[in-house]
Amino acid sequence: MHSSTSPSERGLTGARDGALPPGLRKTAADRPGQAQPVPVRDVPARPWVKMGLSVFAAVAVLMTGWEWVAREKIGLRAGDIGDSPQAWGEARRAADYGEVAIVGDSRILFDTDQARFQALTGIRPVQVSHVGTNSRTLLEHFANDPKFHGLLIVGLADTMYFGMPVIGLAGNAVHNYDKNNKPSQLTGLWIDRWLQNYLAFMDEDYRLSRMLPKWDHGWRKGPDSPYEDVWKISETFPGRQYFMWDRILTDPYLRGHARHAWDGFKGPNISPTVAEKVIARSAEAVRRIRARGGDVVFVRPPSAPQLRVNEDKRIPRTLGWDRLLAGANAKGVHADDLPQAQHLLIPEWSHLSRQCATVFTDAYVRRLTQLTPRLKLRSDAPSPLSRADCVPANIASL
Amino acid sequence: MIFNSLTFLVFFAIVMALHYAPFFSWKQKKINLLIASYLFYAAWNPPFVVLLWISTVVDWWAAQWMVRAKQERTRRLWMLTSVVVNLGMLGYFKYGGFLLDNFVTVAGSLGIIYHPPGWDIILPVGISFYTFATLSYTLDVYLRRSAPAGSFLNYALFVTFFPHLVAGPIMRPTELVPQFEEPRQAKSNQIFFGLALLTLGMFQKVVLADGFLAPVVEAVYDAHGKVPGMLDSWVATLAFAGQIFCDFAGYSTSAIGVALCLGFAMPDNFRFPYGAVGFSDFWRRWHITLSSWLRDYLYIPLGGNRHGQARTYMALMGTMLLGGLWHGANWTFVVWGGLHGAYLSAERWLRSRFKGVTPGRVSMLGLALLTFILINITWVFFRAKTFAGAGIVLKGMAGMQDKPVPLIAAGPMIIAMTIVSAIFGTHLAMRNTTLEAVLERTPSVAIASVWTLLLFAVIIEQGQGSAFIYFAF
Repeated sequence: MHSSTSPSERGLTGARDGALPPGLRKTAADRPGQAQPVPVRDVPARPWVKMGLSVFAAVAVLMTGWEWVAREKIGLRAGDIGDSPQAWGEARRAADYGEVAIVGDSRILFDTDQARFQALTGIRPVQVSHVGTNSRTLLEHFANDPKFHGLLIVGLADTMYFGMPVIGLAGNAVHNYDKNNKPSQLTGLWIDRWLQNYLAFMDEDYRLSRMLPKWDHGWRKGPDSPYEDVWKISETFPGRQYFMWDRILTDPYLRGHARHAWDGFKGPNISPTVAEKVIARSAEAVRRIRARGGDVVFVRPPSAPQLRVNEDKRIPRTLGWDRLLAGANAKGVHADDLPQAQHLLIPEWSHLSRQCATVFTDAYVRRLTQLTPRLKLRSDAPSPLSRADCVPANIASL
Repeated sequence: MIFNSLTFLVFFAIVMALHYAPFFSWKQKKINLLIASYLFYAAWNPPFVVLLWISTVVDWWAAQWMVRAKQERTRRLWMLTSVVVNLGMLGYFKYGGFLLDNFVTVAGSLGIIYHPPGWDIILPVGISFYTFATLSYTLDVYLRRSAPAGSFLNYALFVTFFPHLVAGPIMRPTELVPQFEEPRQAKSNQIFFGLALLTLGMFQKVVLADGFLAPVVEAVYDAHGKVPGMLDSWVATLAFAGQIFCDFAGYSTSAIGVALCLGFAMPDNFRFPYGAVGFSDFWRRWHITLSSWLRDYLYIPLGGNRHGQARTYMALMGTMLLGGLWHGANWTFVVWGGLHGAYLSAERWLRSRFKGVTPGRVSMLGLALLTFILINITWVFFRAKTFAGAGIVLKGMAGMQDKPVPLIAAGPMIIAMTIVSAIFGTHLAMRNTTLEAVLERTPSVAIASVWTLLLFAVIIEQGQGSAFIYFAF
């Protein structure tokens, strides 16, 4: 293939040892209206092989050190595989074929022990909840999906369910649900999970760009500084099994920060009109799921009194939860109504500790087996758990 | 597939192993590269590989029949066939919804209410890039700038070669096809230099663009209902200038590095653009392969500067408006292109008016700063999704918002402005040299140290595999 390039230019093609002198590095911008020649890529005269090998060795040392810091100083663990919109999409697709799916915000996500659920019922639920989101939008996502015929457990935090006008943090995962299953994304997800089984430092909350801005403790009045964000409070295991990160229990600073980040769940009171609109939409979603053979039950996980005071003020149980069950003609389990789930350990006031999540799951699943024929208690189910199984003796120190 | 993904790391390792395996012939290696490139593309959306095949086959035969044609009319017919097929696919997938929306709006303004069915067409990734690459093949043959490729395999590999397939640099056939004619293997130093470029590109994309700059931009441009003040508007827009450069130049640098590892040379796509003095200088430094494509296949055919002043200005504006539209099916992109067209026209007029005036060093610095500021104003239309959104930011930049609220926290703001200042300063300092020339003068220990830090930063930033901005174009 010939070109109209001058012979002198054609001599300078392909890769070239040594940098070109200034002015000889031409681009298409310098050659208007002609066929462009094979470009020149000059390789600076430096010992690239030696430098490259030294770099790889140095990076290996730095990574080893960073991995040590992650494990020993930060408290991260290999096997905490994190979450992503792709992982949510994977669970969402699986839910279409599962018997039981769970949607909701972070509370039902943290507070459900899938293994305990399976031990009690023989069914492993598909966890499709998402942190920082309004469960109703996820309920409607299932209502709009003709493929789903199973039991949908909707976990909710009242203020978010009734008072959050937008979908929240699940937006990317839900809106791009159909786009998040590209082959390269799925292979990336699998490779990522495999690596995270061996490397602790791979943690979304401890990325360089997340750590650096935390130095700003609110220097500028007005916008929330990254210091005010919710930091790492959970670990994630296969099946999107979230549990509270142990360090929230053991590190007073991190626990205090997490409590601070919730800001008491303060906010304006939710008007009965708004609540009724939410209930009407929920009822319609429940009706649509039932119309095709599925069913819906609601679960309200516990929160600590420090938050509960504001939650109840913003949307009292009589106007929210009770009206929801009546309006949607649905069954539900409220944490207040479970004797075994009282005074559990809620270290940062919003989510249960890992051990107490198992106790709460045990309690609410047993109750659900009484409320819906879709869940049956196995004959060989383990014995019921109680507060004593998860609350340590030195609880006073928290 | 995107470069900043774990999938790509595995893919690239396999491609390198196959490319340097001693038991494959050169032809087999090219077939391996072709298959790998299709896999690279299919990893995003498998059905769209068919579009690549259509583009490849149509242009191959169009060029073949063009050469065999005895009459000029027949040649023109084959050239037009290629143009119609390529631009037809681009128009359908990229501009179909846009055209329909505008038709509905115009019809509505005439009192005709029309409710078309939803236009749920997914944009095939990189279609704007490979359409322009394949078009340059038939157009070069038609314009007798080059002969058709001698082998279908070489031609198909030119279209599909994965480093440039989805986001450029937009390569011409004369740049790449000859490289497939003879066996190519990179020497060790080229491979390691290629890896250094790949690291630099990933650092720009993963750490700077996605990690530190994007959140600052989003805090203002995606602040639904909140009104930014002067400081926030300028900081977000400057951060976007840094983000889009690091995103796109990062991709190009990575692509060049990947190709170099395989023994192929790809052209520069960026030459320190924020060090430009004037807008014609800027367009000789920014997205060079697109600007030169538009110049060669649009501006010059529209008359260029050969038919008087008025025609030149019209050609300039036409080229830049269409160049804007190439970036996205939205009028905001057209305005972005139009602003650049207006800048270029104004500069051309000023140059003719002040012919012979040579600015001093301080004036040059001032002009570079002015160029950078004016370019930032155009970025507002590029980033904002609507004119209303652009208006809010522009009003903020002018300090005319009544009750602005602070939107960017101090820490991210300081980091973003440090990065953007570093980019601007580096571009100014290096506007007359090349990275390679600077590296050649730099001690090995310093290069290795910086390379180590960049690679370590990429690893601990981890990245989220977010797509490059230009994938959407």
